[in-house]
Amino acid sequence: MSDYKKTIGIEVHCELKTNTKMFSTSTNGYQMVANKNICAIDLAYPGTLPIVNKYAVELALKAALLLNCKINKTMHFDRKNYFYPDLPKGYQITQARTPIGVDGYVEIEVNGIKKQIGIHDIHIEEDTAKSIHKDDKSYLDFNRAGVPLIEIVTKPDMTSSEEAMAYLEKLKEILFYANVSDCKMEEGSMRCDVNVSISKDDNLGIRTETKNIGSISSVGLAINVEAKRQEEVLESGGIIKEETRRFDEKAEKTILMRVKESGNDYRYFPEADIPYLVLTDEFIEDTKATIPVMPDTRRKIYRENNISDINIEKIIQDKAISDYLLNFNNINLKIASNLLLGDIRAYLNKTGKTIEETTLTIEKFKTVVNKLDSGEIPNKVFKDILVDLLETNKSFEEIIKDNNIETISDTSSLLEVVTTVLDNNEANIIEYKNGHDRVLKFLMGQIMKETKGSANPALVNKILLEEIEKR
Amino acid sequence: MSKYLDLSIKEINNLLKNKTIKPLDLVEEAFERIENNIDLNCFITLDKENAIRKAQELENKKVDNLLFGIPIAIKDNIMTESLRTTCASKMLENFIPTYDATVIKKIKAKNMIIIGKTNMDEFAMGSTSQTSYFKSPHNPWNRNMIAGGSSGGSASCVSARLVPFALGSDTGGSIRQPASYCGIVGMKPTYGRISRYGLVAFASSLDQIGPMTTNVYDNALLLNILVGSDEHDLTSSEKEEEDFTRFIGEDIKGMKIAVPNYFLSDIIDKETKENVEQTIEILKNNGAIVEYVDIKYLDNAVTLYQIIAMGEASSNLARFDGIRYGYSYEKPENLEDLYRKSRAIGFGKEVKRRIMVGSYLLSGENATVYYNKALSIRDDMRKSFKETFKNYDLIIGPTTTTTAYKLGEGLDDPRQTFMDDVLVIPVNMAGLPGLNVPIGFSKNNLPIGLHIIGNSFEEAQIYKLAAFIENELNLNLNPTGGRE
Repeated sequence: MSDYKKTIGIEVHCELKTNTKMFSTSTNGYQMVANKNICAIDLAYPGTLPIVNKYAVELALKAALLLNCKINKTMHFDRKNYFYPDLPKGYQITQARTPIGVDGYVEIEVNGIKKQIGIHDIHIEEDTAKSIHKDDKSYLDFNRAGVPLIEIVTKPDMTSSEEAMAYLEKLKEILFYANVSDCKMEEGSMRCDVNVSISKDDNLGIRTETKNIGSISSVGLAINVEAKRQEEVLESGGIIKEETRRFDEKAEKTILMRVKESGNDYRYFPEADIPYLVLTDEFIEDTKATIPVMPDTRRKIYRENNISDINIEKIIQDKAISDYLLNFNNINLKIASNLLLGDIRAYLNKTGKTIEETTLTIEKFKTVVNKLDSGEIPNKVFKDILVDLLETNKSFEEIIKDNNIETISDTSSLLEVVTTVLDNNEANIIEYKNGHDRVLKFLMGQIMKETKGSANPALVNKILLEEIEKR
Repeated sequence: MSKYLDLSIKEINNLLKNKTIKPLDLVEEAFERIENNIDLNCFITLDKENAIRKAQELENKKVDNLLFGIPIAIKDNIMTESLRTTCASKMLENFIPTYDATVIKKIKAKNMIIIGKTNMDEFAMGSTSQTSYFKSPHNPWNRNMIAGGSSGGSASCVSARLVPFALGSDTGGSIRQPASYCGIVGMKPTYGRISRYGLVAFASSLDQIGPMTTNVYDNALLLNILVGSDEHDLTSSEKEEEDFTRFIGEDIKGMKIAVPNYFLSDIIDKETKENVEQTIEILKNNGAIVEYVDIKYLDNAVTLYQIIAMGEASSNLARFDGIRYGYSYEKPENLEDLYRKSRAIGFGKEVKRRIMVGSYLLSGENATVYYNKALSIRDDMRKSFKETFKNYDLIIGPTTTTTAYKLGEGLDDPRQTFMDDVLVIPVNMAGLPGLNVPIGFSKNNLPIGLHIIGNSFEEAQIYKLAAFIENELNLNLNPTGGRE
């Protein structure tokens, strides 16, 4: 194993989920046709001036609050000057001196160990146009020009690809759940650049920046590949240069894009077209109030409701399901989540519907969960009536009635079945009395088999225990 | 040849109202005058066809305001939809805007008639209008002389009575200095008073559009319709609209007026100084209190201006890259070549000089050493002005150090031409309103102007004093009016 230590810092760009662009009223959204969501401001026509999208500021503020940042209550914008065809004004409006948030952190967990990754700053800026190169020609699509972005810059606090990936997963989860961004790396609404250096001692090595990596797992891979490349260079007596590289996923190599000149000269200076923005305490409080229940709080609730760790993560992965569960308290969340992750999700996947598009009202779902919880209906029945629940406006009771479903709740007929099963399995009774609890499950199964699943499980359980006790 | 355009706006308005004349008469007279004075080079683009059409349209409309049907000329750095807007540059020689600047919308809403786009220094960079890609405008008082700049075409056409109104823009004196050289009234309002949306940016923190007219009342009248907050310009002020003519005609008894010592120091030409001193005597004799004060950093204003204006300009002009609009080099070898040649050929010498100096001033450590330092000294200068306004209503001095000079001069020393604006620049730096009003003539019969500076948003006070002086002096300011 290598005795070099890795030091990693990450810059993430996220497109904000707004209706309009950062500095104009053009639509911010997916557009098939090139140069459709544009106006004179986006194209930097002479005489145009920027306006500020307040909702974008609100989303950026929300992100800064969730990343535990200190808020620059008096903030302004700066110009970053450089020439590139995708940059219509010849400068990007960004925040250099007064980023909206500074000095925050994100808590991650790797192999059971918790760690805080420091956030250097989070600032608001605008996206560039898209260059498309075809044959020997270049084309420009300005639909993306001026789309609001936040850039989140970490401190060099990560020491492994696992930590880097955990940080990105966590960041993505926070921003996605807070409705700040779609965070779709594959569509470019979340993009990351990774700074990596290696060193044998406490002095930091020279770092390189690897740009535009396509997925979180690729980030992990890119870090390891780049660290290994740096090690090979150092071990063969070479030196690492400050440079920008890109990750070739197929070749599993980082490839040199350009060597960084001594300090890129972006000629930053204050954007005079936009006055200072003052984020009032009221605005900050109002923004805080729009923050929904975040994933870690949801995890805690699920854990308290005895949902398995695997299922907890499955729910968190599916925000629609997790959000749906927020509608309920005082129901058995474990049963509810099983239904949602199982048959209901399968139905939704098959039909392409969202849960809101089905006829499963909150009231109806609550009834179903409670009936299952009390044992009044067995799981089998739920499966039978699933389509009715999701596709008709009938109430639960009507569905049960219309399907001629009878649940065996008649004590005497159940007692008969229980007695027969116990008679046939005397050895198991002894085993149970010797402390093997799982035998009970087997006996339950036998009874349900005899009743073809129509028995009320809670009632069966009660009679079974009573009868075993008697023997 | 009719002489309606020599009448006052109120008189014209009455004639329009009682249908003695039609807007078309005014438009035709304006074009007749323009065509007779084509050698003044006031205009880059004339819009005769549309002006006539608009005038005809207005015949069926009610004359509902004083500016109705009045011809106006627009400086060629203000966007006019479908009407070529060049900034006097090869870069935009064929540029047709897709939208109207906010001020143009306001002018059109009052049914004024746009006659054409006036000549200027390229991208408003210059003090003589000689950096124009087109032929330089001349001074109607002496056609061998400059009209001043950068709003030289606007000043010249108003001075020559070709049109009664023009819009200029003022980043470091570009309305007031040519107004002084041409003997007209030019106002640079408080920063933020008028929306900059649609004004091609030179230095964003200094630029301001303003009215240029033959007299004070007309100037206030035009300002009335230009002001107001604009959702398209975040730096536009929320101040409510007001009637800037409201103090015109009042006496000036008890008015407290400050004269900065620097404004009458030996940088000022003797004749100009004498004229200003005579005006001061008149003010004193009419009950105004005139005192001499010191305002900090006035002598540094040009340096500060160069740093801030060129820094901002280098960034503002980056968008002219030959890709989306404007001049684009025809056969570039690659992207770098496209940038280099489009900008090298599309921009003139002075513009390129300022972009280069500005880029240097913002580079690396220079941003801290120069730009940020300039901003902080500028703040101090602003405070010093504010201090003065605690004790005084207005500040006055000469607008320019000399009268207009010969065409062709001032081209070989780019730094010297900045000195033409030494007295007007501080007003932009402090964001204050300032106005030129003519107060006399030199021996060579060239106009001399008084510069009146007000506190922020106190334009109405400036007009009060300016109108009083105008009335007292009663000068014949028509260069064709047979003055000796």
